[in-house]
Amino acid sequence: MISATSASAPNNLRPASEVMKLERLGSMFASRLSFVRSLMRKMITERWQITNTVFDLDSRGHGLAVYRITTPGNCYHCVIFSRELAPEQRSDRVIAEAWDVTFALVEGEVENSLLEQMAANVPLQEAGRQHPRVFVISRANKSLRNFSQFVGALAAGQQPDPAWLTAVGYLYRTTAVYGNGKFGIADFARLERNPDFNRPFAAQMLAVYVLRQFSIEQLNHLARVQSPEQAIPLHPELQRYLGVGNSTGLGMAPFLINHPQLIQQWVYGRERALSSARQEPANEKTHTKLRALLARALKHLQQTRTEDQEQTLRNQETIGSVAEVINWLDRTLAHHTLYEELISWARQYCSLEAQELINTMLIELYPELVDRLDDELGCQESMDLQPDMKARQLKDLIDRKFSWALTYREDCPDDNYWFWYRSAEKEEPRLGIRGAESGAEKETALAIGPRISRCHAKLERFIERSPNAMVVEFLMAHPEQKECVRRIQTLGETPYGEIRANLWHRDMKPMHLLRTKLSFFGASRFDPKSDRWVRITLFQGAPLPCELSNPELSPEQLDDWGFPLEPIIDTGENDQAMRGGAQ
Amino acid sequence: MKVSFNELQGLSRKAFSGIGFDDGDANDAADVVAWMEAHGLGGITALKKGLDFLLNEDKSQPPELIYQDADLCVVDAHNKTILGHASLAIELGYAKCRARGLSVTKIRHCHNRMLIVGYLSRIARRNMSVTAFWRNAHEPLTEILVSFKSGDAEPEICMYSLPSTPDDTEPNNGITLVMVNHVNLLPDLKPDAPLNDLLRQDRDAMASWHERSLVEGIEVDTAMWERLKTLATKMLVEASDDSRQGAGAGTNDND
Repeated sequence: MISATSASAPNNLRPASEVMKLERLGSMFASRLSFVRSLMRKMITERWQITNTVFDLDSRGHGLAVYRITTPGNCYHCVIFSRELAPEQRSDRVIAEAWDVTFALVEGEVENSLLEQMAANVPLQEAGRQHPRVFVISRANKSLRNFSQFVGALAAGQQPDPAWLTAVGYLYRTTAVYGNGKFGIADFARLERNPDFNRPFAAQMLAVYVLRQFSIEQLNHLARVQSPEQAIPLHPELQRYLGVGNSTGLGMAPFLINHPQLIQQWVYGRERALSSARQEPANEKTHTKLRALLARALKHLQQTRTEDQEQTLRNQETIGSVAEVINWLDRTLAHHTLYEELISWARQYCSLEAQELINTMLIELYPELVDRLDDELGCQESMDLQPDMKARQLKDLIDRKFSWALTYREDCPDDNYWFWYRSAEKEEPRLGIRGAESGAEKETALAIGPRISRCHAKLERFIERSPNAMVVEFLMAHPEQKECVRRIQTLGETPYGEIRANLWHRDMKPMHLLRTKLSFFGASRFDPKSDRWVRITLFQGAPLPCELSNPELSPEQLDDWGFPLEPIIDTGENDQAMRGGAQ
Repeated sequence: MKVSFNELQGLSRKAFSGIGFDDGDANDAADVVAWMEAHGLGGITALKKGLDFLLNEDKSQPPELIYQDADLCVVDAHNKTILGHASLAIELGYAKCRARGLSVTKIRHCHNRMLIVGYLSRIARRNMSVTAFWRNAHEPLTEILVSFKSGDAEPEICMYSLPSTPDDTEPNNGITLVMVNHVNLLPDLKPDAPLNDLLRQDRDAMASWHERSLVEGIEVDTAMWERLKTLATKMLVEASDDSRQGAGAGTNDND
């Protein structure tokens, strides 16, 4: 069931014609509604406990670790297998067959028989058969640059240089995080009635969060092994500044296209949050806070490093824009319509990324209006036909809601440039050039725009012959259109509908698709490795498990970890270490 | 072996695409098989029974509408599986019922009829009561009645054989569907009916089976699973050095 229709949506939402353009979606930042933020908030509010129960690693850091996660009503375990990996096997791609660590989040206790089953299957990942009590399986590879430097520094009794974590914000990089029934694990249908994990990707994000804690403890262990007398543990500020990497590619695209109701629900949630914030009258306090948040984001972006030239230019453009925004705020006093004026000014003078950064910060200002939406980002996904709709009404619906798709030209080479397919190598999603590469006859139907355009052309011809026919009669004449029609009818009723792009077009940028999904996850530090492959960081700056139940820190303080800054470590006074934040 | 619901649905979808189903039919057929299996109604067994037939049938010819008026439609499936375009016949009946309050749909000459139950669950979800009736064989003559109450996720199913076969029975490989908008049509067996081998499956039993499927996974025949995997690979593109570049990443990440 879709939660809202266009008719029931609030009036002041940004229009789909603006929000659903791929370029804008691909300019979004993580917000307080992103899944890692939402999960952390739940863990903070409900005082989840994460404790290590098994830490059986050898002198090279290989072995088994188990973490127990206790929530108000349940307990889970994260089981981590760390193994030797030959350098030639270390690949972030799905076609890899071995990893530095593999891990799984499992419901309930881990009895010996289950542990044996997991030990035999979790390290195999896709090639294993996983237990139905397992919620998530994943794997990760070491960031070799950081790992050896960090171990060396700690073993020598020195804290690692925080700049190393600014350059690469993690010790481990996950390369896939599987949920929802993959390889025999539990279906999402089980999780959606579990209050701990009924939000999108909550279980997957928890598994990644536990990996972060393991990476810290494994690091400390290795430093101790190397130099038992001299080694020191990683400074708490650096622990907090350490995230978990993720390396991802075109696999994000099929998910976005194959779950259009869910994606529109995420966008609808974010846009409702923005709409609520924009309506609030700014006052001196929120003006100050907005400025502080933007200043922190500016510094975070200034500290962000990437070798990708295009992303570097985008970052620089955003940095320039955000500095201008701060100047604008400095010369504009708080007043009732401040936010609307800022948005309108930014539309004229700022990059898309900077505009979306402002929106992220406006959402950040109003937790009391926004946080309730945490529970409204999921939806029941089902697309049903409306067979009794008149065929001419369907055509009208396409004309009104999908006009962006009708610009597709059947005979234009640029409009048909790419094709999407899955490779026989572990079904890895890939892009090919039509006419130049083989496999187009097996392409995956991801380009919704051209499909809608073709459906529209057939409808026009059908209606000329049968002006009063129903949709089901159109489909009996053109049964191959069933999926497309069902999708048009379902998404046409929603506030945001489809991502507006022709995914076959020569100028289409896959990176925008990747960033769309990753921003909802809560990713930071976008570091593209090509036009369709990116590394990001999750949980950098997030509270540590030991802080979740620290009575000295308020939930608001703990929740304020977006856009983290490189800490300044005072090695003499660990507890006095500075922490970046806009309190 | 044990598989999850999503896994069964996903692999079936890819296998149906590999067989040559259009996207919509591949999605519907996969949903039907997985739904039936998760509810203890033998979706995989039914598919296994009809798979060879399915592989060889001409998918280009959709069911033919041979008669319709405002309340009634008759569709000839031309001896094809119900998993193909037959869903459109059901949707036609649904459309007529929405307009008239009651509709009768007859689908003639179709195979794998039990699998229609999976698609009817969608009709019930869309606030329509629906009853399907068909006869299964001549010796013994078996009648099957499947009734979904509007809004219910699971049906009531009655299956029984008749004590004698009427002499004038025509070969019957069709299904009759009755849809109603405002009342329920649940099976209410006559107390004096001389029925043999009565088998009733009620909603609670199916709901429990579904729950168990979610918690424990779904047991599938390994050979059938491998067969589905083989069919699914038909939609995969052979790898080459060029295609490996199509993922946009190198093959080594020792940094």
